[in-house]
Amino acid sequence: MWRVRNMFQIFLVFFLWDTIFANSQRIVFGYDRQKMLTYIFGLIIVRALVLSSKANEVGGDISRGDIINLLLKPISYVKYWLTRDLSSKGINLIFAVFETILLYFILRPDFFLQGNILLLLSFATSIVLAILIYFLLLFTIGLVPFWVPESAWGISFLMLVVVEFLSGALFPLDILPVSVQSIINFTPFPYLLFFPLQIYLGKVGTLIMLRGIGVSFLWLGVLWLLMRSVWFKGLKSYQAYGR
Amino acid sequence: MSNNFKAEAEKTIIVERLVKNFELIEKKDGILNSFLSIVAPKKKSITALKDISFTIDQGELIGFIGPNGAGKTTTLKILSGLLYPTSGFTQVLGFTPWDRKPEFLKEISLVMGQKNQLWWDLPAIETLKLNQAIYELSDSVFRRNLNELTDLLEVGKLLNTQVRQLSLGQRMRLELIASLLHSPKVLFLDEPTLGLDVVAQQKVRDFIFDYNRRNKATIILTSHNMDDLIDLAKRVIVIDKGEILFDGNLQKLVEEFAKEKVIKLYFSKNTDIKKLEEIGKIKRINLPQVILAVPREVAAIAASEILQNFPVADLTVEEEPIEDVIRRVFKGEITRKEKRLLKPKASDE
Amino acid sequence: MEDRKEVQNLKLRIKYFGFSLVIGTFRAVSKFSFKFENIKELVSRCYYYFKIWLLMSKNSFIVMLEQKKLFFLFLLGKVLRFGFFILFLVFLVKGTENLAGYNSNQVIFFFLTFNLVDIVSQFLFREVYRFRPLLVSGDFDLVMTKPMNALFRVLMGGADVIDFITIPPLLIVLAIVGGGLNPNFFQIFSYLIFIINSLMIAAAFHILVLAFGIITLEIDHVIWIYRDLTNLGRFPVDIYRQPIQGILTYLIPVGIMMTFPVKAMLGLISSWGILFSFSLGILMVILSIKLWNRALKSYTSASS
Repeated sequence: MWRVRNMFQIFLVFFLWDTIFANSQRIVFGYDRQKMLTYIFGLIIVRALVLSSKANEVGGDISRGDIINLLLKPISYVKYWLTRDLSSKGINLIFAVFETILLYFILRPDFFLQGNILLLLSFATSIVLAILIYFLLLFTIGLVPFWVPESAWGISFLMLVVVEFLSGALFPLDILPVSVQSIINFTPFPYLLFFPLQIYLGKVGTLIMLRGIGVSFLWLGVLWLLMRSVWFKGLKSYQAYGR
Repeated sequence: MSNNFKAEAEKTIIVERLVKNFELIEKKDGILNSFLSIVAPKKKSITALKDISFTIDQGELIGFIGPNGAGKTTTLKILSGLLYPTSGFTQVLGFTPWDRKPEFLKEISLVMGQKNQLWWDLPAIETLKLNQAIYELSDSVFRRNLNELTDLLEVGKLLNTQVRQLSLGQRMRLELIASLLHSPKVLFLDEPTLGLDVVAQQKVRDFIFDYNRRNKATIILTSHNMDDLIDLAKRVIVIDKGEILFDGNLQKLVEEFAKEKVIKLYFSKNTDIKKLEEIGKIKRINLPQVILAVPREVAAIAASEILQNFPVADLTVEEEPIEDVIRRVFKGEITRKEKRLLKPKASDE
Repeated sequence: MEDRKEVQNLKLRIKYFGFSLVIGTFRAVSKFSFKFENIKELVSRCYYYFKIWLLMSKNSFIVMLEQKKLFFLFLLGKVLRFGFFILFLVFLVKGTENLAGYNSNQVIFFFLTFNLVDIVSQFLFREVYRFRPLLVSGDFDLVMTKPMNALFRVLMGGADVIDFITIPPLLIVLAIVGGGLNPNFFQIFSYLIFIINSLMIAAAFHILVLAFGIITLEIDHVIWIYRDLTNLGRFPVDIYRQPIQGILTYLIPVGIMMTFPVKAMLGLISSWGILFSFSLGILMVILSIKLWNRALKSYTSASS
């Protein structure tokens, strides 16, 4: 069902840019009409790959105490959720492709197709990194209920809001002033959607691309360590209080 | 005024030839089927009540009994205005229930064992205050009724506790208070003791009995709890498959529905008990006492036969216990065939 | 040439449709003839329901206090989302100079107005989101046996406390940004009237959701579809291409709800548009209540 809701959002964004690029020769924020609409359509696919996730249920699982059942099973809790995550992405991807085709026939935009194999490979790499980063983010956030059980809902809502804006899901981040952009680039969020799409559109130079991938790796490492330490601390406090 | 007078002059509840059919839309699995069921619903009609009639006077306490799905709750829902009947005449306190006029709703109350009106996350007193506003009770009336009810149900200390922290029995008693704050003249209780422990059951029962007497309130009660009925209801209405099978005094119910009589006998010396099985069903052996169930019609013959052929010291013939009869009612074992054996309708007057 | 003729034709047809809508509404309204003694009764009823509303809102406030942390997180999330979006709008319009012919102050005012309608209707009709559990558990039966309008209880029973905090600052920002657009007295007045009309349409939508819920037990998805649809009004509907713009304006009336108040304030709506909008608002309320009554009847003749 939330796929239908997703479509509405895309409608809004599409028409917003459609209006702005009513004059097809116009170039705004370094995008021409074709690239901007490709960005919007690319969002559908990349969102399905990166932002559709099951790990946002970790918090609820913990606050309800359902985690007990899984801790007793001989499978690592992290791997369990990662598996669920990936399978949900598969399903979502199928829907997303279907939607893209549907929307394509309704809206008939012109697409920008990237032909450079190297860029496509980098694009794929950045997507994989994005998936892992997002998983770790959600999983770590989902551990907060170990200490504050009632916060599961609120905290994932908060996370959603932040991701929605800072990842470029609503608008390409380069409409923001350069100073703001460079701050956001230090956070893990732009590497979820915005950065991969920039690579696809060929809007970043090799150097910046490599730097971006480097930063993604860095975040991946940091989040991994963070997740592990929070996980073990949380488990300890969970066992201590027997919540 | 005239309306009030009219209601008092007539019976409190009048039900005549009440019929209720439910239309069910058949649902099948699958997207196509559920789409089809919206476009061209296949309707199935189920008769919940066929031609029911009874009247109830002010201040009566009546038990509705019957197996599951007999139509008890449906009847209560129609009487409290929740359901439109298919046909028939229904009047409660001079009102047509399903018009749901505020004047009518202020005089009645429906309590359902498994349904809540208390706000889960709040102390009960907040819901009660809300009900005060809804029923437009003045502060003095509110205080008086609240004090009276909390005393009777012994829950004064619980009013300020969050409802979710209460036990089921405590919650049920507070639900009762919430339903009775406006001193309804007619009270419909659907399984009020469902799920309560024995002590809580007794408290609720005592309260219902008391409330009925004090306020001259008319009460209809459905219950699967034998004790509720035996303790509370003088008059019972047995209903099964949407029909009234019996309407009258609880004692009479036993007389008319008991299929068997119970013969208790004491032997003076040992004898071959197995032979007794030819005469009746042996219910319990506790020598020298033996308890035997025999068909009602042949009870006298059976007794004399026993006296002739066995060394009997003492023998009594008794009615089947009330519990057994009611238990059979719940199981739906009382059938229309038996109904034909009865007088057309047992009446109190 | 052909095209223009066709457009002309279509416009005429739409006007005709609108005209009959207006007439129909007046007919419907005129049925509710008020006698003088009814007014006294009406006032006392209003006071009765207002008192109950206050009590229920107080109750949901107490419930909220139980979950301070959650409350805080949600508040933070809402404020953050709002702030981000404003930021986005500022930079967007800065870069593009204008959006569908509106300057950046105007676009922000559109967005603020959208938020006003959205938040106030959530504030008032929060209880709709809790209707499903009430239905599924059967506790709705007990609501129906109360001498209080059941629709009132499930539509407006309990305001959302978060919005007690978000509405005042929003009003202040609206006043500041709106003041910058230099409206005259009549324009402010028509803005306010249009906001009331928007809330009426929102109420009608929520009643529809409730009625639909009774029949199908499906509420959560429907309410989200409603919210997604209205979310399309975050920008003036002028950004959408025809025929989507027409559909969004008149048929789903997101345009009338979210865009028209501001347009009215900017003096961009004809008297014809005003008449049409209000007729639609009133008609939707009447129709939704009719549908609710029908749903209630089907509830009371089904279920067991």
